[in-house]
Amino acid sequence: MIALRGLHKAFGGRPVLAGVDLEVSRGEVLFVIGTSGVGKSVTIKHLVGLLRVDAGEIWLDGARIDALPERAYAAIRRRVAMVFQSSTLFDSMTIAENVALPLRKHGRLRMAEALADARRRLVEVGLGEFADRWPAELSDGMRKRAAIARALTLDPEVVLFDEPTTGLDPINARRVDRLIRALADERGVTAIVVSHDLASIFSTADRIAFLYQGGVRMCGTPAEVQASADPVVQQFITGRSSGPMETPGF
Amino acid sequence: MALVPRRSLTSLGARTLDLVDAVTDLVRVAAGTVSGAVFTYWRGTRPKGEIARQMHAIGNRSLLFVMVTLGFVGMVMVYQTCLLTTQVVDGRGQVGAQFARLLVLDVGPSLTAMMLATRVGAGIAAEIGSMKVTEQIDALRMSAVTPVDYLIVPRFFACVLMTVVLSIFGMAASWAAGGLTGYYSFQINPRTFFDLSMVAPAHVVLGMTKAVAYGAAIPIVAGWCGLRARGSSEGVGAATTAAVIGSSFAVIVLDFIISAIGLIFWGAGL
Repeated sequence: MIALRGLHKAFGGRPVLAGVDLEVSRGEVLFVIGTSGVGKSVTIKHLVGLLRVDAGEIWLDGARIDALPERAYAAIRRRVAMVFQSSTLFDSMTIAENVALPLRKHGRLRMAEALADARRRLVEVGLGEFADRWPAELSDGMRKRAAIARALTLDPEVVLFDEPTTGLDPINARRVDRLIRALADERGVTAIVVSHDLASIFSTADRIAFLYQGGVRMCGTPAEVQASADPVVQQFITGRSSGPMETPGF
Repeated sequence: MALVPRRSLTSLGARTLDLVDAVTDLVRVAAGTVSGAVFTYWRGTRPKGEIARQMHAIGNRSLLFVMVTLGFVGMVMVYQTCLLTTQVVDGRGQVGAQFARLLVLDVGPSLTAMMLATRVGAGIAAEIGSMKVTEQIDALRMSAVTPVDYLIVPRFFACVLMTVVLSIFGMAASWAAGGLTGYYSFQINPRTFFDLSMVAPAHVVLGMTKAVAYGAAIPIVAGWCGLRARGSSEGVGAATTAAVIGSSFAVIVLDFIISAIGLIFWGAGL
């Protein structure tokens, strides 16, 4: 369904991605893991045109999408939603208005219809009674759930999750894991999840892609990753501070 | 040794590309703002009452600041001019009329805009820059909302209108303060000072054109700086500084351009 081929991206002359190759099938839950700053979020932002490739190709359902103009990405963003690392709710709108925004713009619904739909989505994530509150009045976990509701309003085929469990308590983190798994199993939604949360990774992933030094070091099932003899992969999944990935002076 | 010039060339190339990218972005933001304001305003999605809210933030909250600053500038200008005119021949009778002409033609709108460039430009860049580094701009794009249309267009309307209004209030404050200075320090009769005979319609047209142009430039430049913010709070700080410098610079450049156009149209009669 999604293919990244030879993806290159540099910021200010510093290369971040140096040839990322990755394929994701429909209905699959792929976790992208790796150390901070390795380019996990950068990789997924390319899929919806929030960042543009320096070199390489991105394919979605057999169509190449990396060179599309900004306007043409509207159709892609209707099919591929994203949950950002911070909740990214707009302070000037209530929770329901935040969730209704993609419905109004992508779905072209009237305000009243969009708000009614948004309230239904908020009930699904347990925030029905908070629909008319402002983002600042909610906890981090609630804001995250509202952001997930907003991403799901258009029933996307693919959802990109950027560290969805960061900042959540363990109970809410596992709820998010269950939600991601249910989206894939019950609705056939493809999920690409950037995460550091090992419990989440190994309980939820169909496959795991490990990014290291600008490329995909390893891609396999959770069992294959756990059984990997690669010392870099082993250091990451066991969380050892010393090893081949040691940061000088830290 | 051979590496040094090569590295320098690479660095120069990277800077040139960055500059081209920045200028392209500025043109895109300016074109998007103007087209959003003129052609597609009613189709846009913005929070209810956003223009009124921005008018309050830009206008009402800057009113005292602008009036006090221009009042002091008026006092200093009139005091210094009176000192100079009394040294050779007594030309105090002309100070008020000439000061009114200068205020309407240039000093009023330009100083008001410089004040707004610092207060409003910094505010716009900080707000949009914070949204950029916290990925809210990306979230807008994911919701099929154009950030320029959503964030800059309402500020554009509000800033154009309020720069004109604040310029008028600023000029009034400056003129009144100048009149008081003339009366108490140099015994200029208020009826002599508050003389509008030197102010021609062309001066008003040119002064108000400047106010409109400044009001348009400040949110565009500041919004552009905010949208280019990178990283975290440090990036927002850099964007805010760049917005103040860029907006002030835009005011000075526009002042020069519009004055030059005025001279071409009206010549020495200006």
